[in-house]
Amino acid sequence: MSNVNIATPKNTTVVICCAGMGTRLGIGTTKALVDICGVPLIIRQLQLLQDFDDIRIVVGYQAEKLINVVNEFRKDIVFAFNYQYETTGVADSLRKGLLGAREYTIILDGDTLENPSDFQLFLKTESECVVLSELSSAEPVKAEISDEKVQRLSKTEGSKQWPGMAKVMTEKLKSDSSHVYGVLNEIMPFKSIFVRTREIDTPEDYEQAIEWFENGCM
Amino acid sequence: MSDYIFLFDMDSTITRKEVLPEISRRINKLPEMRALTEATMRGEIPFKTSFLNRVKILSDISVKEVNKIVAEVPLNPMIADFIKQNNERCYVVTGNLDVWISGLMRKLNMENHTYSSKADVVDDRISKVVSVIDKELMVRQFVQPIVSIGDGDNDSGMARRADIALGFGGVRNIAPSLLRNIDYAFYQDDKCAEFLWKLL
Repeated sequence: MSNVNIATPKNTTVVICCAGMGTRLGIGTTKALVDICGVPLIIRQLQLLQDFDDIRIVVGYQAEKLINVVNEFRKDIVFAFNYQYETTGVADSLRKGLLGAREYTIILDGDTLENPSDFQLFLKTESECVVLSELSSAEPVKAEISDEKVQRLSKTEGSKQWPGMAKVMTEKLKSDSSHVYGVLNEIMPFKSIFVRTREIDTPEDYEQAIEWFENGCM
Repeated sequence: MSDYIFLFDMDSTITRKEVLPEISRRINKLPEMRALTEATMRGEIPFKTSFLNRVKILSDISVKEVNKIVAEVPLNPMIADFIKQNNERCYVVTGNLDVWISGLMRKLNMENHTYSSKADVVDDRISKVVSVIDKELMVRQFVQPIVSIGDGDNDSGMARRADIALGFGGVRNIAPSLLRNIDYAFYQDDKCAEFLWKLL
């Protein structure tokens, strides 16, 4: 494995998938733009990604609105478009964001709040890994773990939640699964990094996430 | 290595300023030019009608003078550098008149790689516009896979026909109609160029 470089911000692309409509949240705005104590969720994420200079945000629903908000914060973001967001999965958005990506790709979901210090540990991890959290969502993707590694992600088995985040070598992301966890299952196992997170899928998730954020993401 | 051919819009994609308003500013006709240009970018006036009217506004100025002004318009440096270094695979597809932009095209090594509108010149003045380019029609003639790069409403047809369509919003906002037809959008010259290099 001596020819494999360690992951650093210089050889890593970050892809944030934000194309969907977020219908379960029911507020008529893309989830990336929901207000988190005065700041849109996508900006909360970008504030934690200052060290990275190749960030792609995959947009679809309310693309123009999202682009305008992001451009107010930083101008060097690449936007990839998935206008088929109603009929395609998040993995299709991810594939759109991967064209010309660097050696490593960090996959992020645009509907997730992260504990900043945990998240930095994930960002600084030099090898491939997937993020796990405590179970908190109504319909979580869970992780099956053995030999201290994540063996499989699914909606059925597991005591930890996968919040849509991973760091993997870009060349391995070749699966045509419509789910990102399906793409990752084909290249498992990975070591896990624990990050405290809150996903925002429903109004209840949103209320809990705000309370969690106001209490310091603990 | 890919087979992509790269088709570039000129105004506010390669250049950091729009050429026609820049010229009209020099002859104190900027307000009327600006109004027409803005309406065209928004897709409210068909490109051909608008372009012929804009040429009329500039009919009093020397063609040589315009050519000189255009050749000196500031460029997006990294995008321009990509074009110069990969000139065999790049083409400029612009509504501007051939007689106005030839100096700039020489500077970009694009002399024989430009599709533009055409005009006749008599006594250093435009005597008549011979043709106004239809970018979508132009793109249909290419047989190699295409990457298109533009920012305006009149780049939408080119984007629809392209295998990969890029929007560049570093100078002015990408037209809403184009935004609906592109695969990737960039708001910085260096980021757009970095992506282009990866598509070679």
